[in-house]
Amino acid sequence: MHEISIVRNVFQTLEQTYPEKFDRIVKVQVQAGLLSNVQPILIQNAFEALIQEEPSLSDVELEVLLLPIIAHCDACDKDFEVKKHRFICVCGLPSKKIIQGEELQISEVQFSGQ
Amino acid sequence: MNTPINPKSNRMPVGSVQCDNTTLNLLKANDFVAKAIRERLPDMLVINVCSSPGSGKTSLMQETGRRLRDKINMAVLVGDPETDRDAIRMKEVGINALQIVTGGMCHIEAQMILQALDHIDLTGVDLLFIENVGNLVCPAAFDLGEDIRVTLLAATEGDDKPKKYPRMFLTSELMVISKSDLLPYVPFSVEAVTKDAREVNPTIEVISISSLKGDGMDEWCEWLVTKVNEKKTSQVAI
Repeated sequence: MHEISIVRNVFQTLEQTYPEKFDRIVKVQVQAGLLSNVQPILIQNAFEALIQEEPSLSDVELEVLLLPIIAHCDACDKDFEVKKHRFICVCGLPSKKIIQGEELQISEVQFSGQ
Repeated sequence: MNTPINPKSNRMPVGSVQCDNTTLNLLKANDFVAKAIRERLPDMLVINVCSSPGSGKTSLMQETGRRLRDKINMAVLVGDPETDRDAIRMKEVGINALQIVTGGMCHIEAQMILQALDHIDLTGVDLLFIENVGNLVCPAAFDLGEDIRVTLLAATEGDDKPKKYPRMFLTSELMVISKSDLLPYVPFSVEAVTKDAREVNPTIEVISISSLKGDGMDEWCEWLVTKVNEKKTSQVAI
């Protein structure tokens, strides 16, 4: 999708959230649900491009974790993984109660201990 | 292999590592603005109309405006990467329209809608259409403060699209099959596309229309009038 702006957004968000500790960040994990249309390799490439502009980020490791789509079946009261975008439980009933898969968020930040 | 210009020094944390588990939403700026739009337009039905380029969004807006002229006060915000041709097409048939030129961007973001609201007179408007940029991928991710998302799929595009662009059909309340007058001439099965769309989104409604010939336009207009009334009633109830 819009990997460059997503990566910029990651670091803007971190700067706002951790103004004191921002320069001690060593690793950032981003979770992207399969419905977010985000490609991890493109995020990594965009990050490399951002480092050209902001060399201070060159020591930061960025990890993108893809999350599968999980929906909930009310009839079975169970969660099921949505494969090939078939929002249908093993019991045959459809469900669009999405439990996971739409995320685009920073899920973990690691800081060096000085 | 080129050596990276800024090789990582592999600054492995020495000593302790602090770890913060968090959930910082990366689309929060857009979602925040979308909420502001909803609050600003409490008694107006806002419909975000999405589709591929050339599937007939503007023609449908023109024909809808013509048919509902005496029943509903309608306005259109129309997004395109360049030119104001679509807004001109709508103004030609008397529709209150404003062009949003996205400057090459492949989707509309909530911020563009919020800014556009200051440049269009929405006094007495019951129904505001946002005609999104023709694209079945990116617009799906951006909430524009709409009440309802409608996706058009033209008979000429092929009936395999809901499975190829699942997020768009997943987030739409209604799939409009446009150019239905061409159905006899193209390999497009309304039954198959409905089945596929409902595997992605079990509650999606389906209407076939032809803006050119008028087929299905009564059903579409009735659907709109019902939704506009539902929105008004819900506001009275609050």
